[in-house]
This record gives sequence, C-alpha cells and structure tokens, in this order.
Amino acid sequence: MAIAVFFVAAAMAVIGGIGVISFHQPVRSVLSLVVVMLALSVLFLLLSAQFIFAVQIIVYAGAVMVLFLFVITLLGPARELGRGRLRFQTWLSALFLLVLLGLMWAMLQGVQYRQPDSGVNLSFFGTVQSIAVGLFTTYLYPFELTSILLLVAAIGAIYLSRKRIDDPEGGPAEEGLRPASGMGGNLPPPE
Amino acid sequence: MSTLHIGDSQLDASWFLLLGAILFVLGAVGVLVRRNPLVILISIELMLNAANLTLVTFSRQLMNIEGQLFALMSMTVAAAEAVVGLAILVDIFRTRDAEDIDDLSELRG
Repeated sequence: MAIAVFFVAAAMAVIGGIGVISFHQPVRSVLSLVVVMLALSVLFLLLSAQFIFAVQIIVYAGAVMVLFLFVITLLGPARELGRGRLRFQTWLSALFLLVLLGLMWAMLQGVQYRQPDSGVNLSFFGTVQSIAVGLFTTYLYPFELTSILLLVAAIGAIYLSRKRIDDPEGGPAEEGLRPASGMGGNLPPPE
Repeated sequence: MSTLHIGDSQLDASWFLLLGAILFVLGAVGVLVRRNPLVILISIELMLNAANLTLVTFSRQLMNIEGQLFALMSMTVAAAEAVVGLAILVDIFRTRDAEDIDDLSELRG
C-alpha cells in the first residue's frame, strides 16, 4: 500500500517538476510547483513527519505560492521570448542535467547508512510534541533567530515596495536611473 | 540500502533520496534554461523543496528529529527569500520591462 502511494506521489512530483521548467507562462509554472509541493507533503506523511506535512501545505502551498500568484497578477502575463543570448544553452543544460543526475546516482550507490540513533517510538516521532521539544529546548536560540530573519525580510519587502518620494503617483518612473530617494529626494534639481 | 518500515510495507530510503536528486536537478536546469526572473525564483523554490525531502528522509532513517527541525528552518529561510526576491522583482518591473534576466546586467562584472 505504502509503495503504491510512494510511486504515485513520486510520479506526480516529477511530472510537476518537469512542468515547472517547461511551461511558457509563469502562472502554469507556479501551479505545477503547487502540484510538486502537495506530492511532497504526501511523501512527508509517509516518512512520519506529520508536522512538516501540515507546514508544507499551509506555509508553502498556501502562503508562498499565493504570494507568487499575486506577483504574477500584479506584473501581468509575460511570455518568454524564445531565443537567449547564449547559444546551445538548452543542449548544454541537458548535458548538465545528465551529468549531475549521474553524479548524484553514483553517490547514492556509495551511501553508508548509519544505524538509527535510538529506538524512538514511531508513534511519537514527528508529532507536534516531539518537534516542539526539540524546537524549544535544544534549538531555542536558532528558533528565536528565525523570528529576526522574518522581521528583516518583512521590513525589506516593505522598503522595496514603498511609494517613492519623488514619484507621488506611484506609477512607473522615468527611463533610466531614479534619483536616490529618502533625504532630499523631492528637492528641485540644482541649476 | 536502508529499508524503512512504513505501515506493513517496506520502502527503501534511497528511493526518496533519488526522487530528491531528480527534483533538485530539475530545479537547477530551470535556473539555467529559463529567462523569466520569476520562473527562476520558482525553480529555486523547487530546489529547496528537494533538499527538504532529503532532510526529512534522513531524519526518518536515523530516527532523529533534528532533520525535521532543520527542514522547518529551511522552510522559514525559503519564505524569507521568496518575499525579498519578489519585492526586488516588483521594484525592477516597475521601472522597466524585464522579461529576460539577461536584460538586468547593469552590474556586469
């Protein structure tokens, strides 16, 4: 039963991953990535990571992907132009894909699996309780640091998307470099 | 080979690791091939997800919860990265059309 679930979820993940890099409209890429994330959440459940499963669906598929969709609707549908400046880019990257995949496969052949650390009860492993015990005792310091990271990210996003002082309309600015905003940004230019 | 007992059936840990490797390589190829900066960010998310799958697999194989804790940290970092990356992208798009990542090469080194 678990084997069938694994292969269905793995096939969904790989198909979604191919969709991410092959669709020409960004919206379809994002929706393919949602498929990948849902398939991965099923695999997390197979690996008895119940809390990670819930977080994957709520935070990743729910929040981050919606953020991507918002940005796409904000920017409008942009189709990719066919040709790049680097010739043979597709062929080179296909070669890179094969080489990297071969390297990873060869590495997997040589993995020496360690024996499990201790006989943790599988009914306790991966639950919210076991995650919380680790997160609030041994790893309390890194856990608190992530809150600072999120704060910095939020402040950075607000700073980057603020309305310009020299551009009261908030619309697209003139071609070329904008004057430095902030102090004195709305002063008349020197004669 | 390391067998994981899941329910009443047995799966091998290397299957999960191979799937993680495939997804990571797909994301890396997306970063290399695609020209739309938005799709490049999406491919980076795909790579981070593949790494998360590997972390959780080893966590289960070793019966050690620390792998899952690190996967949680990685999710936080991925969310912060997506927020800042998308804000930068919106800021760039406000000035000009950048449908090709090669158009954004003013800082060429």
